[in-house]
Parts: sequence; structure tokens; C-alpha cells
Amino acid sequence: MMRRLTSVPVFLLPLTVSLLFPSVPNAQTSLPPPQSLDLYDTPSDGGGSLTVLWPAASYDGPDVRYQVLMAEGTTVTDPAAMKVVAEFPANRSLVQQTRLPWWTRKGEPTDHLFVIRSGKGIELKDGNGYSVAVATIRGDTRTFSPVMHATPQPNWFNWNEVNNLLIALSFGGLVFYTISQAKRRDIFLRRIPGLDAVDEAIGRSTELGKPILYLTGAHDMSDPSTIAAAVILGRVAKRTAAYETELMVPHRDPITMAVCQEITKQAYLEAGKPDLFKEDANFFITSDQFSYTAAVDGIMLRKKPAANFFMGAYFAESLLLTETGASTGAIQIAGTDSDHQLPFFVTTCDYTLIGEELYAASAYLSREPIQIGTLRGQDIGKAVLLTVIGVGTLLATVGVVFQMEWPQLFLDFFKDVK
Amino acid sequence: MAFAERMLKIDRRIIFLVIGLCTLLPLLYPVGLPIKISPEVRSVYDYIDKLPEGSVFLLSLDFDPASKPELHPQAIALLRHAFRKNLRVIAMTLWVSGTGMADQLVTQVAKETGKEKGKDYVFLGWSPGGSAVIINMGQDLYTSFPSDYNGKPTKGQPVLDGVQSLKDVSYAISLAAGNPGVEAWYVFGKDKYKFELGGGCTGVIAPGLYPLLRSGQINGLIGGLRGAAEYESLIGQKGRAVAGMDAQSVTHVAIVVLVVLCNIFYFSIRQQGRQQGQVR
Amino acid sequence: MIFLRRQVPLFITLITGLVFAAQYYVPHPSSELLLTSATKWLQIIGGFALVLGVTSLFHLHAVKIRRKEVGWGYSVVLYAGMLGTITVGLIAGGKESGADGVSTAFGWVYNFMMVPLQGTMFAILAFFIASAAYRSFRARSREAAVLLIAAVIVMMGRVPLGEYLIPLSGDVSQWILNVLNASVRRAILIGVSLGAVALSLKIIFGIERSYLGGGKE
Repeated sequence: MMRRLTSVPVFLLPLTVSLLFPSVPNAQTSLPPPQSLDLYDTPSDGGGSLTVLWPAASYDGPDVRYQVLMAEGTTVTDPAAMKVVAEFPANRSLVQQTRLPWWTRKGEPTDHLFVIRSGKGIELKDGNGYSVAVATIRGDTRTFSPVMHATPQPNWFNWNEVNNLLIALSFGGLVFYTISQAKRRDIFLRRIPGLDAVDEAIGRSTELGKPILYLTGAHDMSDPSTIAAAVILGRVAKRTAAYETELMVPHRDPITMAVCQEITKQAYLEAGKPDLFKEDANFFITSDQFSYTAAVDGIMLRKKPAANFFMGAYFAESLLLTETGASTGAIQIAGTDSDHQLPFFVTTCDYTLIGEELYAASAYLSREPIQIGTLRGQDIGKAVLLTVIGVGTLLATVGVVFQMEWPQLFLDFFKDVK
Repeated sequence: MAFAERMLKIDRRIIFLVIGLCTLLPLLYPVGLPIKISPEVRSVYDYIDKLPEGSVFLLSLDFDPASKPELHPQAIALLRHAFRKNLRVIAMTLWVSGTGMADQLVTQVAKETGKEKGKDYVFLGWSPGGSAVIINMGQDLYTSFPSDYNGKPTKGQPVLDGVQSLKDVSYAISLAAGNPGVEAWYVFGKDKYKFELGGGCTGVIAPGLYPLLRSGQINGLIGGLRGAAEYESLIGQKGRAVAGMDAQSVTHVAIVVLVVLCNIFYFSIRQQGRQQGQVR
Repeated sequence: MIFLRRQVPLFITLITGLVFAAQYYVPHPSSELLLTSATKWLQIIGGFALVLGVTSLFHLHAVKIRRKEVGWGYSVVLYAGMLGTITVGLIAGGKESGADGVSTAFGWVYNFMMVPLQGTMFAILAFFIASAAYRSFRARSREAAVLLIAAVIVMMGRVPLGEYLIPLSGDVSQWILNVLNASVRRAILIGVSLGAVALSLKIIFGIERSYLGGGKE
């Protein structure tokens, strides 16, 4: 039977309670649950995901942790019966720590955001309802937010990538515009020394009565570098047809060989020397890297071509090819977008087309408006990127040197828009 | 012909002999100089070290026998570390010519560390398609690899428990000698399926992967034999990479000496030419 | 015939190019399913391309043997090697070792022929690098001198002996790799990527047709 405490002075009541019940923490006022919880289907995804968002609390600190709890169905009301799907300290899972761009980001930067995804023991099925709650933990105390319900659904458009789409469309539009401009007027192209040497190399081979060796690289026809190499082959083949010089084109890929055969045939036709075209000028060796390299090295040492062209993508075989070619005294012209092989080409070849100079080469040789227009579009695209990089570097420097915060707004904008 | 001119036109076989001796002698008589650990290798080590026991670690051995000297020690060191941490290892390859070597390597390290096939690790083997395999694995691992390299069905193996696709992988590393390699794993794997990715590669392609490293697209990079030696030092089990560093050291110094000599001869010929021009 | 060789491939390229470009922006599972199906087809076609390559190789060397061209003996060796490897591979079921760990004949060919041969070819690079460096690394100009100094620092900084002889070389080479090298690689990557995007757009919209073979019509 409880003793009546009416005779105890009021001001002593808290002391009396704490003395009578020392282990009961005053949870309701010292650790409130997370407020204003928002649960929704994660936008711009393929389904199977829910996002929970809640504002930061004044009591967030190193001793506070959050738990995200989930249960199937929308009838669950007791958070204590739900499964814990994640637990993290209060300084984690903040909106500002997510990689979402500003146009899809919800909430304030200091709000908490957690995305519940299928996988790692959790399965969320599209169209099924789920109940979610968030618990705050400090020490032995745990308080729960109200239970929220939501249903994951797949989306048809990824709004997070809209910047990518706009940039792709803009760049595409720019390229088509510059192509149309190139059809109407002349556009200046700077000299690429390696390409001027092409005629010199072919002329030298003709004088010496030796063949020309042309390689199209390691990749297949789906690679831009191989396409560029094939286009340049067309130009080289036209010149060799005109000078009646032997052309040898060993291949690593049968489809590339078939395409280059057609290109060479067409080139000989356009040069007015169809009878000089040889079916086996383009021949397949093998697709294995070093077997191909050994075979081509053998061709170089036996046939001793006066000019070697290395156009396309290359890997470890590049130095084996070029050093063997150099030992035979041939003039060597390389063009590759394989930046890891550039040092070897630069040291062993007479001329090297670096990176997109290879793509520019087809425009330079053909002088076709389409090729030149594309080049112009690329240059404008690069100019835009250079400007953004320059402005961004300046802003970042100003922000650091003068301890200002406003440059960060622009930098965040650039970071998201990229 | 002047001495300098003769030296500049020296038979390349003499250079080959010098390099051959510089490679062979340190292997026979090792010295064992200390190796400084680079931040990019340490990042990979630290990440694996912090993974909880039972985490899923995917190791893609994307190289062929030609790149064995550099990437084999990397693979051994990583597997030793992963097995020591009791991680669940999924090994595979995107290069058909490296399949046998990859299987032997994984089996060898597993045997050495007492790990059981199917329970602690699985070798999936090779599937055609390159980057297409990565995309398919991101959707459903079991359709890309319905059985492992030994023909055993992948579904139901304890090591793959709870793993449906690449989204369930805690950490993936691609040891690459070219393409498909680290870049393919990033573009078709991490960018789409959001798992953490590290890289290992031959020394020649390592500089090209620094932009990915600096931008955080890969969290660490083990470059070449040096990277493998650093990793072996970190796990405390020195192997072929550390042994090979002596040979690589002497060879590098030899090449530097050759380059310096060639420049000395070159400048002396240029000087002589100028003096003769002045005399005339 | 022109319609089949030209217009149909261009139409297929346009449709598939646009569909799969759009696929990147559509996260819906049906879009992912489309991508998965397409990549499975790519894997299947990749297998057929292997057959095409082997057939082409057989045909080429058969002609060489029949005509007794210069070096036809090597073509016989190639035939023997290829047929021998295919035979042992089929017998062993494509496996290098059996369930008991014993090496199969195919495994023997792989371990004692393929691995050493590939390793040898790659090892030659070390010698070729040295001879190329001796021949070409000359400070002919200011730029070449800068390149030379950077190369020497990085070569020394990447090996323990180099760091021992020149203590700063390690840190300087790390800086060169992380700052100078990374920025230059990024620049080349940006240029190449823009070029690749432009070329891809031209191929999708049928402006670039050289991959079909032949010239203008």
C-alpha cells in the first residue's frame, strides 16, 4: 500500500522521487524523439528503395546515435517490434554528405537523410507498403519517432543525371551546328606536323622501292581510335595507289580487316588504279597481343618497310613494335589515344599524333566539312571546359586566400553540374 | 670515328647484356632495402583492414601471363590479407588467357591459409563479353556465372550467401593489365551499382589511373611491382615483389646511368661540332 | 543491295544508338532488363567473332601452304599448334587441372608453353626500354631536358635504391605523379572523351559512315 506523501513539502518532491526510484531516468524531457520525420519513395531510381529525412536535433552530439527501423506492411504501429536496418552516429548520414545535386536535394544540409535499399539482407519490393521509424539513442535511452508509411516505386527518369543529359544534348547540338557552318564557309585548321610527314614518308618509301606498313591498333571497329585509323588508312592508301607503292596492313581483328579492305579498295578506285589493288594487302594475323607483335616484328625485319604507321589504340606491344621498326631504319609515324603508350611512341617515332590529334587527323587529311565541323565543335567544347576550370580555380584560390565563403557556392554549383 | 660517336652508336646487344646482368645479379644476391609505403597503396590496405569479418570481397584478376611478374604478387598479397581478415572472397577474371593462372593462384593462397572452396572463397572463372559481364553481374551474378570454374552451381554456395549482385559486394578490386580493367569496372560497375572500388595495375598504366584516384573514383591504387612490394610490407609477408625490388632498383639506376652517359656523349659531340665550326 | 548494305545498317545504328543513349537516363527495371539482354547478346556475338577470327586464320595459312609461299613451313607449325591445342583443350574440357589437382595436357600446354612465351615477350620490353632510352633520351631542346630530368627523378623515386641515393626523389616523384601527371592525363582524357562523344554522335546519326567500308555514294 502506497504511503501518502501529502505531508512532504512540495520542493522536496523531486528529491524524494529520485531517492525512492534512483534508477529511473527522466527520459521524456532529456531525449526527445526525432521530429518532423519524412518518409518517401526514393526519386529517380529503379525502385526497391525508400528515403527517410529528418531535421538535426539540438541534442545531436558524439554520444547520440540514430537507428532506422523498418517493417513490412503499413499496419505496424509499434517501432520496438521493427527490425533495425541501420545504426550510425549523429554526425553521419547528413544531407550535405550525400552526392545528390542541388536540384534534387531535399531538406537542409544539416538534416539527416538515410536511403533504405534492397540488398545486404533487406528486400524492398515495389508496390508493397513499408513502415519506418527512427530511434534516437543516448546511453541506455532510446526514443522512437512516429511510424511513417511509404511504398517504393520505380521511376522512368533519373533527374540526378539531367545535367549530364543537358550537357550531352548541348554538345551534340553544338557539333551539328559547327558541321553546318563548315559546309558554308572555310574553317582554319592548324598544321599537325605528323600529318605533313605522311606524304614525306610515302614519298620516301616510293624512292627506296620499299613497302609501307600500316597498323590499325589493338581495338575493334567499335573504338573511335580504330575508326580514325581506318579513315587515315583511306587517305594513305590513296597516296600509295597514286605512287604505286606496296602497302601492307596486318590486322588483329577480322571485322576491322574486312572494313579496311573495303576502304583500301575504294581508295585505289578513287586514285584511278583499281588494277593495282591487292586483296591480301589487308591480312589477318591473330587477335593475341604478343603473337601479333611477334608476327609484325618478323614482317618488319624481313620486308624492311621504309615507313611504319602506328594508328589506333595500343598496349604493351607498342614499344616492341616501334623499337623493332626503328632498328630497321624506317620513318615512323604514330597516332594514338592510348595515353599510357604515348611516352614510348614519342621517344621512338619521328612524329606522334597525341590523343585527339588522331581524330583531328582524319579531318585534316580529308578536308571534309563534316570532319572539320566536328573538330570545331570539339574545340569550342574544350574552350568552355577550360573557362570553367579557370574560373573555378580562381574562385577556389580567392576563397582560400581571403577566407571567403561565397566562392564555395559557385564551386558547389560546378561540382553538381559536371 | 670519335669515341663519343662510337659510344652513341653502340650495338644495342651490349645494352641488353648490361640490363640482363642488372636484373639477374640482384635476384641471386639480394640486398633488401627498406620500402616506403605510398598513400595510395595504404588506402587499399586500410580499407580491407577495416572490413568486418564475413564481408564480401571481389577480386577481378584481369591480366594474362605476360603481366604475371607485376600483378601476381599483388594478387597473392591481397588474397593473403583478405583471408587473414576472414573475408568472403569472390575471384574472377575478364581475360580468358589468364583464367588458368588465376585459378592456380587463388587455389594456392587458399590452401596456404587453410580456406575452403565454396565456404570461404569461390573462383568464378571467365565469361565472354568484357564490360558486358560487369553489367550483367550488377543485375544478377548468377546469370553471368551460373556455375563456378569447376562447374559447381554458384547458387547455394555458402560463400555467396546473401550476394545477389554487385550491389552486395563490400569492396571490389580489379588487378588490370589493360582493357577491360579498372576503368571498365568503374564505368560499368561502381558508377552504376555503387560499391567501393580499388585498383591494381602494371607500372606502365599506373600514371593513367591517377586522375581516377585523385577524383575518388577509385579509393586506392597498387601500381606495378613497387605497389606489390609495398603491400607485402604492409601485411608483413614479404614475397616475390620485395625480392624483385632489388633487381628493379639496380635496373632503374643502370638506365639512368646510360641516359646520363648518352647525354654526355651527345653534348661532347655538339661541343666538338661547334668548335670545328668556329675554327673554320 | 545498296539498301541492305547501307540504309539498313544506318537505320539499325540510329535506333540502337538512341535507345541505349536514352537507357542511361532511365532507371526503371525494364530499361535495365533491356541493357542486360543487349549485353547478353553482345557476349554471344563475341563468341561468334572468335570463330570468325579462327576461320580467317585457318584460311589465310591454308592458302599459304597450298601455294607454298615463302615461310609456308611456319604456317604448318601454326596449324599443328592450333589443332593440337584445340584437341587437348576439348579432351580436358577446357580445364588446366582435374578435380584431383593433377595438370591436364591442356594445362601442360598452358603452363609450359603459353605462360613462358607470353612472359618472354613482355620481358623483352625491359631491354627495349633501355635501348630506346639510350638512343632517344637526349636533351636536344629545353623541353626535352625538362622531360629528361622528370624521367630521371621518377625512375629514381620509384625504387628503394633510388630513394636511398637521392632521399628527396620519392616525395618529388609522388608530387610529379599526383599533380603534374594527373593534370596532363586529365587534359588528354577530356580531349579524347570529347572526340569520342563527337565521333559516336556522328556514327549514330549516320554522318560518319567509314566503318561500313567504302567511300561516298
